[in-house]
Amino acid sequence: MTALKKPSLTEAELVLALQSKDSAVLKTLYSMYSSALYGVITRIITHTELAEDVLQETFVKIWQSAENYDSTKGRLFTWMMNIARNLSIDKLRSKDFKNSLKNQDIENNVSFVDEQNKVTFNPDVLGVKQLVENLKPDLQSVLNLVYYKGYTHVEAAEKLDLPLGTVKTRIRLAIIELRRSFN
Amino acid sequence: MSVENLKAYIESGVLELYVLGDLSPEEALQVEEMAAQNPEVKAELSAIELAMEEYAMQNAVEPSAGVEAKLFEKLGFEAEQDTVYQSDTTTTEPKILRLDGSNGKVRTLRFALVACIALLVISTAALFITYNKLNDAHDQIASLNLDKQKFAGVVRRLEFDNKGLDNMVAMNDSKEWATIRMAGQAFSPKSKMNVYWNKNDKSVLINYVAMDLPKADAEHEYQLWALVNGKPVSLGVFGKSDSTNAEALQKMQTIQEAQAFAVTLEPMGGSVNPTMEKLTVMGGV
Repeated sequence: MTALKKPSLTEAELVLALQSKDSAVLKTLYSMYSSALYGVITRIITHTELAEDVLQETFVKIWQSAENYDSTKGRLFTWMMNIARNLSIDKLRSKDFKNSLKNQDIENNVSFVDEQNKVTFNPDVLGVKQLVENLKPDLQSVLNLVYYKGYTHVEAAEKLDLPLGTVKTRIRLAIIELRRSFN
Repeated sequence: MSVENLKAYIESGVLELYVLGDLSPEEALQVEEMAAQNPEVKAELSAIELAMEEYAMQNAVEPSAGVEAKLFEKLGFEAEQDTVYQSDTTTTEPKILRLDGSNGKVRTLRFALVACIALLVISTAALFITYNKLNDAHDQIASLNLDKQKFAGVVRRLEFDNKGLDNMVAMNDSKEWATIRMAGQAFSPKSKMNVYWNKNDKSVLINYVAMDLPKADAEHEYQLWALVNGKPVSLGVFGKSDSTNAEALQKMQTIQEAQAFAVTLEPMGGSVNPTMEKLTVMGGV
């Protein structure tokens, strides 16, 4: 899939530099992780401009709340990904987003509708999407809601009319499938 | 916690929700405590995290180039040279500014050049005018100098005459001095001259103001004689009537007694005996 030839530091080095407010590290961090985080964001928010806004906000928040990151609680990427996901979901539910849906330019409208209908072909994503599509349909629908649409597991349970426990189990099983495919 | 309970906990899916950030703060704290106490939980969490990270990496989508520049601008970091990602407006603007700047500089230099040339022309003109005025001034100074010299000459002459006249008046008033008037002879009938003879110390003076003799040429001068018992005795030579001597009076040799005084024109330096053909003036005491 994607060959990532980008500057890289170990996570410990990144964290140390980030927490000592070394502004150069944010560039490194951006070149290493911006596209991965943007991948997360753009699946929740399909509108390009808004998604890019969220990406920017994500890095601002990473920079501003770096001291809150605790490496004993998890990996740096998990922390960053959760910032990106939370900001995306906030944006999705904000007035901004709802207004932007109403005020689409005509030129943007076609691609916007396409994005809404998920007929874009991002070569980077094709393989994984196939992988997700190879999942059993019940696992697939849960992962779609939680990962691609930013639903909480509670919301997904309501949407799918399933018990919370079942949703949780299905999320776990879907992720185990992913783990297996990466190994 | 028993192994079975631990397994059930792991399989509940709560760790996945933790990684997805889908837990309340209290639930998240519980997971963190469990992970801290149980290496199995910790290992499982790490595996889930790595899987999600890998998944995100493989689903990476490159954001448009402008985002990075906007981000660093927003954070107030300096945009470095190697940051090639810039929006259209920010890339064209500096270019326009740069062109404007150089154009402005050229225009400024052109204006400066024109101003310099104008200044040069004005300076040259001013210099030329000043030079002419200076020449005029020099001419004026020269003519004034000439005038001054002329006036100085006149003043000197007037002073000389004045002094001579003063002396003459003083001598006339005094009882000591006898004034002998000598009248023109055949050689020069229009000439006249006075000689002043002191009765006490017998000194003899002549006054250039009180003489009217023809101008002597370069090889001749006048000689004053006293006639003592019919014999001429030289009292010395004197210059022309318009002598440039500062003194109007000239002292001649003293003579104890004389019946008459006379002046002859003699070669330079005087003669032992008077040249009677050139007897100019003569007068008795």
